[in-house]
Amino acid sequence: MIRLAFSNLFQNKVRLTISIGGVALALLLILSLDAVFTGVERQISAYIEYSGADVWVSQEDVLNMHMASSSLPDSVARKVKNVSGVASVTPILYLTNNVIAGDDRNLAYIIGLPEKAGLGGPWEVSSGRSLPGESQAIIDRNVAEKSGIGLGDTVEILGEEFEVIGLSEGTASLVNSVAFISMDDFKDMRGSYDTISFLLVKVLDSESPEVVAARIQSQVRDVTAQSGNAFAAQERKVVKDMSTDVITIMNLIGFLIGLAVMALTVYTSTLSRRREYGMLKALGARNRDLYGTVLAQAILSVILGFLFGLILTLLLAKLVPILGANLLLEISLISLLKVSGVSLVIGGISAMIPVRQIAGLDPAMVFRGK
Amino acid sequence: MSLAHRNLFQDKTRLALSIGGVALAVALILILTGFLAGMNRQITSYLDRSPGSIVVAEEDVVNLLGATSLLPEGMVEKAERIRGVEEVTPILSQFIILELHEKKQPAYMVGYDPELGGGPWQLVAGREPRSKKEMVFDRVLAERHNLTLGDRVEVMGQDFTIVGLSSGTTSWMTSFFFVRKQDAENLLLAPGATSFLLLTTSDGADLDKILKRLNDFSHVNALTKRDMAANDLKLFARIFSAPLKLMVGIAFLVGTMIVGLIIYTATVERQREYGVIKAIGAKNRFLYQVVVTQALFASIAGSLLGILLANGTAQWIMSARPQFLIVFDLMDSGQALLAGLGMALIASIFPTRVVARLAPAEVFRK
Repeated sequence: MIRLAFSNLFQNKVRLTISIGGVALALLLILSLDAVFTGVERQISAYIEYSGADVWVSQEDVLNMHMASSSLPDSVARKVKNVSGVASVTPILYLTNNVIAGDDRNLAYIIGLPEKAGLGGPWEVSSGRSLPGESQAIIDRNVAEKSGIGLGDTVEILGEEFEVIGLSEGTASLVNSVAFISMDDFKDMRGSYDTISFLLVKVLDSESPEVVAARIQSQVRDVTAQSGNAFAAQERKVVKDMSTDVITIMNLIGFLIGLAVMALTVYTSTLSRRREYGMLKALGARNRDLYGTVLAQAILSVILGFLFGLILTLLLAKLVPILGANLLLEISLISLLKVSGVSLVIGGISAMIPVRQIAGLDPAMVFRGK
Repeated sequence: MSLAHRNLFQDKTRLALSIGGVALAVALILILTGFLAGMNRQITSYLDRSPGSIVVAEEDVVNLLGATSLLPEGMVEKAERIRGVEEVTPILSQFIILELHEKKQPAYMVGYDPELGGGPWQLVAGREPRSKKEMVFDRVLAERHNLTLGDRVEVMGQDFTIVGLSSGTTSWMTSFFFVRKQDAENLLLAPGATSFLLLTTSDGADLDKILKRLNDFSHVNALTKRDMAANDLKLFARIFSAPLKLMVGIAFLVGTMIVGLIIYTATVERQREYGVIKAIGAKNRFLYQVVVTQALFASIAGSLLGILLANGTAQWIMSARPQFLIVFDLMDSGQALLAGLGMALIASIFPTRVVARLAPAEVFRK
């Protein structure tokens, strides 16, 4: 029966292509949206993950960086430095603003770095320098290229002009990029209120970030201390919590479309094989055997559709950055498992559509030439 | 026409499945575009409903929601002295991530002076904040988290009591909540800080002149509220347009595949009949018409059903998840119909090739 399913499936190549293509595209809807959000999660936490900090200290109950504001009195740096297990402390200033290059406005995290900052600077600089001095900025290479900006050119940040002295990699996301200036410039332009935004802490090799974070939390008042991993996870959670409902709706629509395509394929192919099924019945095949064939055919189709959909998503993931969009598509294992499950359900349900046809088949009709 | 009609209607299940498939694809396109249109409306809600016609922001800041703005000290007084400026409403605003039932909920905090305005424009329950640590919370967000008047919400480590519930202040991205400006200053450790000024001008005042006077001050950027709203729309469109276009493109392809599949199968099944028609003198053009008519019918019926389906689904989504606003008008529905027609034309390519290659004599050999 599996062989029959195979030959039924592969006999008409155009129909096979259209049906597999249809299912693949429906699954692509689910896969690519998942991939977009997973990619955004990855992009949005990139600065935290690559900052080099083992522990992040923020204003009390500020658990995120994106869409958040944190203010700590300058004096907190000294208090944190005195906590045992802390190797170094780097304060940074942070806000979201525009990097203006010519007519282009690019939304960016503006990071104010202290002189000789050990942490929090760009993690990969493709050209130029990695620490900004007075009136100097390091901006994302992609953003610079799009705006036709190179080393030595000028950009405007917070109303002041900065010379671009470095171009960084991996610092742009769908939402914004990251730009680095000196902390002194930041304070001059914004007025510091004698505050900093975050403290980036390096712990001693012998210490665990989680333990030191807990120690800072208990010894320093009015702050929230989290390990770098925990802070990055909080950041990813913002995207996850915001996207849950959208993903659920899109998954449902993708599932229904996939189901419609698959049901249509299985139904039309069963219909066109009525004579053959009638012949098999006349030769003694039971309805159950014929159902098995239809089911095998449906499952085979969705497996092929799933693989094709996966290939399409991988191709999209490669193609989108080449087209210049700061969109990262990343396929997660959970998404793969979910779509595999969805595919099997689609195959199973669509195989039930022609049940009535098969059950109602009269073996004698084949001899009557119908 | 009648041949196309018979071909299509001979198998009702197949026809229903194909129309249903196209309807789903068209509904998806409409819902996606309606979702974006709704989000756009929600994004500008504060600027649309807050007082004044001019916004004064920090230099280089052209968005309300995109960037953090901090005005130089003394800007309120400077703005008040400009001829033609009737009222100055200062606000201190900032995105905040609230933790509600262990879920992260981005919200836009507006710190305002209830005497001067800039707060919620429609209170459905309670009152505006009068004293320390009181807030007006978005009604939809409150309902989603079973919060009501008198309940407390933690904002950056401080408990605020809900004293009012506002309407029209929700969105999928973020909802608005309102506190006294002084409380916002305390939360952000920025005493006396102001993010934006909303300026109301007197009747007949020359807006351009006022804008110029304001922009002559250093470290500020003054623009009309309409321009700022347009900038916010542009910013969010840039963020969401790429994923959205991707989804709409896929939906269009799926719809095309479905119509293609059904018309192709119907054509292949009727190959003999088409051969006979050709043998008795029918031209390819006639057969193309039969194929395209079938495709058009399936697509138009599917598109119309898709428009109805999108309306129903949008209503259902908005009642189940009130933070989503999905809006589409006649123009969007017309575009969805056009998309359906596009699907039909592309889907006809394969079957017409089958018909074109058909040798009339073949039918007599079989």
